Amino acid sequence: MTRINPDFTSELKKYGVFDANACYNCGNCTAVCALSDQENSFPRKMVRYSVLGLEEDIQMSLDPWLCYYCGECTTTCPMEAEPGELMMSLRRWLTAKYDWTGLSGLLYRSVTVSVIAFILLAIGVIGFAALHDFNPEQVMHFGHYFEMSAIGGVLLFILLPNIFRMWRLTVFRPDGKLSVKAHFKALGELIVHMFTQKRTLGCDDSQVRWLEHLILVIGYLALLFTTVFLDWFLAESRTVIVLGYAESTVIFVITFLFVLARITMKREVSKHSHPSDWLFVIWLFMLGLSAFAVRLFIDLQILEENFWIYLVHLIIMVQWALIIVPFGKWTHFLYRSFAMYFRRIREI
Amino acid sequence: MNKKIGVYVCHCGGNISDYVDVEKVRTSVESDEGVCLAKTTMFACADSNQQEMVDDIADQEMDGVVVASCSPKLHLLTFRAVTERAGLNKYNYVHANIREQVSWAHSDNKTGATDKAIRIVKAAIAKVREAEPLEPLMVKSTKAVAVIGAGVAGIRAAIELAEAGSDVYVIERDHFVGGRVSQWDNLCMTDETGKELVTRLYDKMMKHQNITLYTGAEVVKNSGSVGNFNLKVTLRPRYIRFDCNEKDLMKAIDVCPVEVPDEFNFSITSRKAIYHNYPSEYPHLPAIDMENCTRCGECEKVCSHIDFSQKIKQVDLTVGSILMATGFDPYEPPEGEFGYGIIENVVTLQQFKRIVHYCDNTLQYHGKKIEHIAYIYCVGSRQIDGENKYCSRYCCTTNIYTAITVKKKYVEIHNYHFNRGIRTYGKQETLYDESSKLGDIYLQSFEDDPPVVELQDGKTVVRINDILTGHKSLDVEADLVVLVTGMVPRKDNATGELLKVPKGRDKFFNEIHMKLRPVETVIDGVTIAGASQGPKNIMESMNSALSAAAKSFSLVDSGELALEPIVARVDQESCEWCGKCEAACPFSALSKLEIEGKTVVQVNETICKGCGMCLPVCPVDAIELTGYSNKEIESMIDALIPNI
Ligand SMILES: Cc1cc2nc3c(=O)[nH]c(=O)nc-3n(C[C@H](O)[C@H](O)[C@H](O)COP(=O)(O)OP(=O)(O)OC[C@H]3O[C@@H](n4cnc5c(N)ncnc54)[C@H](O)[C@@H]3O)c2cc1C
Ligand code: SF4
Ligand code: SF4
Repeated sequence: MTRINPDFTSELKKYGVFDANACYNCGNCTAVCALSDQENSFPRKMVRYSVLGLEEDIQMSLDPWLCYYCGECTTTCPMEAEPGELMMSLRRWLTAKYDWTGLSGLLYRSVTVSVIAFILLAIGVIGFAALHDFNPEQVMHFGHYFEMSAIGGVLLFILLPNIFRMWRLTVFRPDGKLSVKAHFKALGELIVHMFTQKRTLGCDDSQVRWLEHLILVIGYLALLFTTVFLDWFLAESRTVIVLGYAESTVIFVITFLFVLARITMKREVSKHSHPSDWLFVIWLFMLGLSAFAVRLFIDLQILEENFWIYLVHLIIMVQWALIIVPFGKWTHFLYRSFAMYFRRIREI
Repeated sequence: MNKKIGVYVCHCGGNISDYVDVEKVRTSVESDEGVCLAKTTMFACADSNQQEMVDDIADQEMDGVVVASCSPKLHLLTFRAVTERAGLNKYNYVHANIREQVSWAHSDNKTGATDKAIRIVKAAIAKVREAEPLEPLMVKSTKAVAVIGAGVAGIRAAIELAEAGSDVYVIERDHFVGGRVSQWDNLCMTDETGKELVTRLYDKMMKHQNITLYTGAEVVKNSGSVGNFNLKVTLRPRYIRFDCNEKDLMKAIDVCPVEVPDEFNFSITSRKAIYHNYPSEYPHLPAIDMENCTRCGECEKVCSHIDFSQKIKQVDLTVGSILMATGFDPYEPPEGEFGYGIIENVVTLQQFKRIVHYCDNTLQYHGKKIEHIAYIYCVGSRQIDGENKYCSRYCCTTNIYTAITVKKKYVEIHNYHFNRGIRTYGKQETLYDESSKLGDIYLQSFEDDPPVVELQDGKTVVRINDILTGHKSLDVEADLVVLVTGMVPRKDNATGELLKVPKGRDKFFNEIHMKLRPVETVIDGVTIAGASQGPKNIMESMNSALSAAAKSFSLVDSGELALEPIVARVDQESCEWCGKCEAACPFSALSKLEIEGKTVVQVNETICKGCGMCLPVCPVDAIELTGYSNKEIESMIDALIPNI
């Protein structure tokens, strides 16, 4: 027996804008959804669970991650309940639920908290640079060191525990037997989806969206590799340098297109922008652009006189790595692919 | 005299002629005695054929006509009208049904069907041969209507009748008017209160000189029939004089030591033996309820206008028509239905309306604050096992409206609607929309798996297997459970029985034809309006009140009424008064008569329906039915089975 919690929708509304209460359960949204199937039938079920406040059932479900937000449901809904945006809000809410620190929820729910966190980190970086008299060598050395430790630290202390929590909620059943074999068998699903996001292709809307997204992901991962492991800013190899330029260009061009889409609101997916969405695309755009500029300044040999550009880049990077990656929208990259993986395990 | 008879055999497109050889039917009857013309026609009812018939009747100087076509329910009146247009008496027309009774029934046997059709047409011809022209019975009609019940339907009908120019007697059993509507505060869909609505109607009614209102009144006897009903009405006194002083009366109510459950508030409060329904009820005068008054005399001591010497009075009224608007009772669940009567915070919708009426800033019941309200729908309606199979129509809308009102009036209200499919039909659908958007939660189950109300650790919990959530078992802890009860017929139907108003399967008053004659009953002159006929909201009650008023008025307006002449006729020579026919008549149209020392039976032609129940019981065959005389029926039988 499950108790109804009517206050849940108002809690959920802090994570997005929709009107689930308007839903009269016609099921049109599920009928038009190209990704919904017998086993994972959505979004109506999730709309219903949200209205009733069945938090446990929502937490146990992978459905929100299986939706790739083409927005067909929202356009079809006769009650303008915005089921698509509800699914998006559930993803934000789940991100907060999975996060053991609780910071994720705090940042999602409050713009003020987010702004304060961003400002504090910026002050921290400037303070640190001031401690080192804005010495470019020392600061850049620190920057490189930071990149490496942030990746390791965030992964180890935040992301992995959170994925474990997601696994506990969605796969682990205290009573049922757990098949270790299934975990190995399904691994392929994780790799494929993490690097291709091919499920998006199942959506009815333009395939361009998938391609843009794929190029962005590859560009982003490649740039990460180039800066961290090939030490792009200090690299001498012409190939590495050009590679870095290409990768950062890909990032800021595509994110520029994304920002533009959110401003013009032509596609259903970009009609509703939560502050976390804006932060994600703008910071990624600035990350690519500032990295590009730093390397350009190095190549033009004007970095020493214009060291501020590196500081800007560092601030953006620190904010990105300590806020957006562990607690913000970046995590969807992991949760989506893990959801596909977990679903496969459940199926086996 | 030999009659000249015209016969028309219809193809009905192919409905008849596909199975019945209509040409053979025609040739088989064309040389029957009296037949001067026999034709087949593609559609007998078509305008062109009707005109042809009119011309034929005139050309051939016919005395009788037969059309063999569909059921008389469909076209008897059509062809009677054709004969009248041609100057013939319409009772010289006889209808033969060879579609429903022949072609449709025997589509598997064409030869047999044709043979049966021939016999049926021959029988109709035989009847025409013996038929006599008949004239309608004319009776005088009194230009007055009795409206029984002063709820909104009754008052509205009374106003309409008065405006049309009839005298109206409004007979209300209660001491106060307005019926059920005065018990509800805000009303859907107009938001005004029941009191406001009743006030408007009452004021308008009282402006009419030709309306007489009797309260505390009940019809106890009726003799007579359409045009002239003679009603005996008893008037219970209020035991308070009209010229009273309000302050003294309030004191009298204060001192009265008797307390009884207040039925106006569905027993959630109590009242005194001297009482009024709400501070400005109509008429503006309390009443003493003698059933509970102990005659202790306390009230008399503080108010000199109390008058125990007032007596029950009787008035005799003569009216041309009676309009029944006696309303309904809200369903009262038996103890235990969804915890009603056992769990303290389970109430009915009608009680809930009264609870809301008495709560100003916080909604509370038995001193406990209410935030979570569970509504269980269709209680007493749409029963699979119980008697009430019907949907009460009003309740979904009224309940959702009330839930919205409550949510807007008080803070922190959560509404949960346990329904079986919401029926806020028509314009009322916007309410459902509004309530959903306000965050009300709708849970649904099928009739065979209703929600369950139970006590868990002193908390009232409502549980449902919600079909909108894949039959998941869900529950709510409710501060108040409201049973959304339906409508049932008035428990006390003495007046309806007195007037023999028929009831339908749902036990509400029954109309003659749901669609075509929706406010008339088989009792000539008695019309029905409002919720006495079945569950209705106010708008629907008004609609039926207005049409019943129009129908009643049409019966009294001209002062004279034309009735069907098909009635029983008694041969008083052979009648030996045994009383068997009187007992057999379902309409009490027969009575004893003394003439010249002989007791015989007499027929009240205005009451007689021509049903024929009295004919077969008469041992001396003294009764005949006009239009269906023995001669006519016997000749038909001869035509149907000629070989015996
Ligand atoms: C809880 C509840 C809430 C409702 N809310 C709404 C609403 O918001 N909006 C809406 O449109 N509808 C509403 N309705 C429906 C509304 O009450 C009915 O449509 C309306 O009362 C029907 O009026 P009526 O005159 O036919 O019957 P009634 O109101 O029942 O009046 C009948 C009258 O006849 C009298 N009477 C009965 N028997 C006799 C007799 N033998 N002799 C003389 N007098 C007699 C009675 O005393 C009464 O005064 C509600 C109903 C319920 C139960
Ligand atoms: S289409 Fe809209 S109203 Fe219909 S089930 Fe989906 S969300 Fe609800
Ligand atoms: S109106 Fe609604 S609550 Fe009333 S009986 Fe019909 S379906 Fe049930």
